[in-house]
Amino acid sequence: MGVPYLPVVGLAGSDLAGRREDMRMAPDPFGGGFETIVVQALRPDVALFHGLRADRAGNVHFGYPSDNTLIAEASRRVIVTVEEVVDALSGEDRAGGFLPGILVDAVVPARHGAHPAACPGAYPVDDAHMIQYAESAASDEAFADYLRRTVFETADHQEYLDRFVPEGWGQAGQLPLREAGD
Amino acid sequence: MAESCTGSELIAVLLSREVREGELSACGALSMIPAAGLLLAQATHAPKAELLMLGTPLMPFATSRQFHFLAMRGDLGLFFVSGVQIDRRGNYNLHMLGEDQDKPRVRFPGGYGGGMIYYAARRTVVFRTEHSRRALVEQVDFISAAGRTPPEVLRHGGPTKVITPMATLGFDAKAGVLGLESAHPPHTPGEVQERTGFHLGDLSGVPATPAPTEAELKALRGPVRLRMIEEGIYAEWARANLGGETAA
Repeated sequence: MGVPYLPVVGLAGSDLAGRREDMRMAPDPFGGGFETIVVQALRPDVALFHGLRADRAGNVHFGYPSDNTLIAEASRRVIVTVEEVVDALSGEDRAGGFLPGILVDAVVPARHGAHPAACPGAYPVDDAHMIQYAESAASDEAFADYLRRTVFETADHQEYLDRFVPEGWGQAGQLPLREAGD
Repeated sequence: MAESCTGSELIAVLLSREVREGELSACGALSMIPAAGLLLAQATHAPKAELLMLGTPLMPFATSRQFHFLAMRGDLGLFFVSGVQIDRRGNYNLHMLGEDQDKPRVRFPGGYGGGMIYYAARRTVVFRTEHSRRALVEQVDFISAAGRTPPEVLRHGGPTKVITPMATLGFDAKAGVLGLESAHPPHTPGEVQERTGFHLGDLSGVPATPAPTEAELKALRGPVRLRMIEEGIYAEWARANLGGETAA
């Protein structure tokens, strides 16, 4: 997107709008005689995504329908991790869930890079891991311990894969779409 | 004598009666009872109702952004939403509970879609599977979306009803308050007032809600249940909650 703000039909009189500096009431500048909430644009420094496949020109095929393109358009830098890098995306890969390379700054090959979340088309959510995550998130101590194990005391992506991704994960091939979009 | 039904079935039937023929009606993700209500309407009085259910095969768009813009341009007739709290002024809360908004006692998902659709849909019907003083309150702890806004605010519609296992409350858009429209037998208006955290208005002459008809329950437990299972619309829920042992 990259525009400064957008009007929204909604949120007026809500505590959400009341508590946020980036949501204000504004009159229709075209003389329609009404007011709406306008929301200030988010301008992320960096956006991070995981997709199914990318090519050498930085074009990304997410593998599922997604509003990620909007986030990419709003962000200053875009980094995409992918299951695999190919020379050039096929025409089929460019249809749906496609992010053109012109919006992408860096592509990083990272097999199982979405784990423990899903990469639709490759593997599902790792429910067992997610349950552990949710339990850890219940207290600061448990969460610090979770981070220590999975992030700080894990040397690199390969060690993460070896220690935390189940054997043969996603090898069943194409999996049904799950939680498409959001 | 009306056939007995579960609370979920009752709410599904009452929601289905809100659907109008030919209109676009929708519900959000993880909305099993509204999904059953929408399909029931299509199977009974509104065969040409257009239905949209986020997170199910009956979602025509690739992502919810397109649905939100459709609603904001005023094309959505009816939406079903639930909230943790609903108050007398038709405000609903799906954010948090607690006296201090900076220190919530419990946090909920928030109002990502609902905070917009409450204003954009022509009619929003709020449903709640619990009718209690903690759910129906004088004032919500957090306004996720407001029942009424000043006339200059662009808004295509707002809340029209609140449906619970005990009663149907009607929203008086002019006065901006909820009142008791009907009580579901065997519950009496007095009992409904007793279990509600705000004044429901004059209770004299409040009618009993017409009970689910045999035809409605038959359709809900037969073709609607079957369609949910076959098309993968909350199939497990439909199997467990519609009909069950009472299914013909």
